[in-house]
Amino acid sequence: MRSRSMLVACAISGALVSAALGCSTPDSNGRFVQAKLPDETTFAPVSILLDVRCGSLDCHGNVARNLRLYGSAGRRLSASDQPFSPACNTASEVDQDFISVVGLEPEQVSAVASGADPETLTMMRKARGTEAHKGEQIWSIGDDSDTCVTSWLEGSVDRSACMRAVTAALPNGASNPLVGCVSP
Amino acid sequence: MKYAIFFGAFLIAPILACDPTHSDQVSALGGEAPNVNEGPTHRPGEPCLRCHDGAFGDPEEFSVAGTIYRGAEDATGADGVTVIMTDATGSTHTALTNSAGNFYVTPGDWTPKYPMQAQIESGSTKVPMLTLISRDGACSGCHVAPASDDSPGRVVLTLDDGGTPP
Repeated sequence: MRSRSMLVACAISGALVSAALGCSTPDSNGRFVQAKLPDETTFAPVSILLDVRCGSLDCHGNVARNLRLYGSAGRRLSASDQPFSPACNTASEVDQDFISVVGLEPEQVSAVASGADPETLTMMRKARGTEAHKGEQIWSIGDDSDTCVTSWLEGSVDRSACMRAVTAALPNGASNPLVGCVSP
Repeated sequence: MKYAIFFGAFLIAPILACDPTHSDQVSALGGEAPNVNEGPTHRPGEPCLRCHDGAFGDPEEFSVAGTIYRGAEDATGADGVTVIMTDATGSTHTALTNSAGNFYVTPGDWTPKYPMQAQIESGSTKVPMLTLISRDGACSGCHVAPASDDSPGRVVLTLDDGGTPP
């Protein structure tokens, strides 16, 4: 009888210890400095692509998303702006989108900017459909959208790929006002 | 033992079925408008799929639904407007608005694979939606009046200046 009580006590203690370990969090005093970041000055065409492909109001233009995006095709940063007015992403929206992207996984973005495989970023895996994503697969490895983002992450944005990707994604094709927002 | 499992399942089922957030959202919609019965013309402009989600089979589940208005400042529903929806696979489905401006699509008729494109047509007026619909089949999930930083406003056929929306 006594040994059975001991067994139960051990089991409960084990469960409590496991729970405590499972709830452990990173050191709150820990700091990470991003050694290298993708180039903010060439981010604008990437911002438009992300706005069009990911930033609709029912997806990453929604404040409930961890990756929050602002832009003409979705949520505007300024309370006085509206979707498509002004037609192109503002400089402030580009800045905010940049912060969203590089701040989502700071350590990993820094690693990718230093040469690591872009696939190591959750954002890329979700867009490529290699990780579960409510919005499902958005683009494929090596297509124009993928090339637009990976080329920027790797230090030399392919503006032509970005423009082709934006044009292909937009309903109403070339007559969509957003096409004029990204130049080749 | 069998009775214990049955009794446990009986207790757990209501807990799993209860979603207080969803209940609050439904309650926030309020009651029916006076003189409008539940049916295809009720609650224009409201987020249809909030209730028509198929959770318990009643009300009927919708895959896509919404309301088309005559104008941004005109809260009158536009009757007889054709809503053309094209999903990611190229599959197209059309629906027609009723006297309240409402339209709806049931999963039995068509369920889109997102992202989806949409266009509304009435006579010679054709208004394509210029952004992709990524996951919400209810128009008013995003289209809420008035237009603001997080809403393009109502889905309308014409703007107040006579032009068509972008």
